Amino acid sequence: MTYLNELMSSRELLANLTAREVKGKYRRTVFGQLWSLINPLATMLIYTIVYSFIFRARLEVGDPSGLNIYPLWLMCGLLPWIFARNVINSGMTSIVANGSLIKKVYFPRMALPIAAVGSFGFTWLVEMGVLLIALAIAGSNFWIYLPVIVGTMLLLAMFSCGVGLVLAIVNVHFRDMQHLVGIALQMWMYLSPIIYPISLVEDAANKAGHPWILTLYRLNPIERFSTVFRNLMYDNRLPEWGDLLACLVWACASLAIGYGVFSRNEKKLAELL
Amino acid sequence: MNDVAVSVEHLAKRFRMYHEQNNTLKSAVMRGKKSVHEDFWALKDVSFEVPRGSTFGLIGRNGSGKSTLLKCLAKILYPDQGRIQVHGRQASLLEVGSGFHPELSGRENVFLNGSILGMTKKEVTRKFDEIVSFAGVGDFIDQPVKNYSSGMYVRLGFSVAVAGTPDVLVVDEVLAVGDATFQKRCRTKFREMREEGRTVILVSHSLSTVRDMCDQVAWLDAGQLRGAGDATPVIEAYNATV
Repeated sequence: MTYLNELMSSRELLANLTAREVKGKYRRTVFGQLWSLINPLATMLIYTIVYSFIFRARLEVGDPSGLNIYPLWLMCGLLPWIFARNVINSGMTSIVANGSLIKKVYFPRMALPIAAVGSFGFTWLVEMGVLLIALAIAGSNFWIYLPVIVGTMLLLAMFSCGVGLVLAIVNVHFRDMQHLVGIALQMWMYLSPIIYPISLVEDAANKAGHPWILTLYRLNPIERFSTVFRNLMYDNRLPEWGDLLACLVWACASLAIGYGVFSRNEKKLAELL
Repeated sequence: MNDVAVSVEHLAKRFRMYHEQNNTLKSAVMRGKKSVHEDFWALKDVSFEVPRGSTFGLIGRNGSGKSTLLKCLAKILYPDQGRIQVHGRQASLLEVGSGFHPELSGRENVFLNGSILGMTKKEVTRKFDEIVSFAGVGDFIDQPVKNYSSGMYVRLGFSVAVAGTPDVLVVDEVLAVGDATFQKRCRTKFREMREEGRTVILVSHSLSTVRDMCDQVAWLDAGQLRGAGDATPVIEAYNATV
């Protein structure tokens, strides 16, 4: 608990490290912070062209919202995923990348991975804001669910923060990790219903006579998160309680494990780097 | 209790020297869990006390454990045995301008560096003018620090560190980098700190600097304490061995 107190008292350090990431990232670029919007827009365009026009992926009609727009449906799942992926990736490398700082100054090391959550969280907030405006224009009526949306965003941040904390420690011992995780994250995205609807998996599993595949597939925490986000933002209804509960459990478990692993190994970091 | 700023009790620090280290996944899997290593004790049973309001120097040959001890004092390394007790607020300056972001302006970096050193935003804001004038960077304060001369960079880093008015300041060989004017200014600053009852612990290879600035000295040799106490006799004893 003393460590937690120390972390709390370094709130300003956290804020400043986050600001350093946010401000430093797009310095000396013409478009500046706009890049953080251009990136997801370009991704949206690519996936829309490939999956909606070329592969003719089945369009999901929002129930009860009646929305029928693939790019908006896609973004409700893709933006949370991009956030989680970035947090995991940069949380993992934050310790190794700031090695010189760790070897010279004392401060709660956890501030570094958490600052990654903060800086990508800031970008994500802006992206989600833009998406919600686009959804509102398209006729989505998500307003009463806004608190639940914000709560789920918080849970996803906790979940990815925990994963990042564990990987940050592992990466100090085994630098292979960052390359391995790059591949794993790519596979993870295709194992989650982000660019395709989960109904495709359900149909395929039933057709093959192995409905257990769906149960296995749904163990993936990102599946729960993207389902919840789509329920709230695209379909405009409350998600099933089971899904919300699963998100909550995943978030708390991941953060608790991440915190435990990190705080236990923190003191050795300066020596190992 | 009141006249001791830092007490070091039976401090020992061990490093593992790996002959074959498992820092890739492949080698860990191939060799199993075992990695081959030897223990190296960089510090062995070191105990001394630093009186409040003194300027305390650590001397010794290369590899005698000075830097390890300094890093233990700065809480960067953790001792394997013994403990260090610091009474009051501590800041350490092992490198000037730690965490400076080259693309950010001097002003932004002062706030960033200040918070890394444990100062609050309020404190930095209050002392901002003092920091800038002590560093002597003038109008450059709103320029990115990558455009600074190395002297300006060092001065700005040093100014932020001493602005925190720590009760105990731990300093590595940072004074060697500035020009004569800056070094003189540092000495004046350290003297002021001593008059205010603050403690400075420093490492230097230049015996003349140590003789000039320190009133208390600890002499380390091969990880063991050879002597500690008033500066002159300890420096004499050390000089006799060189």
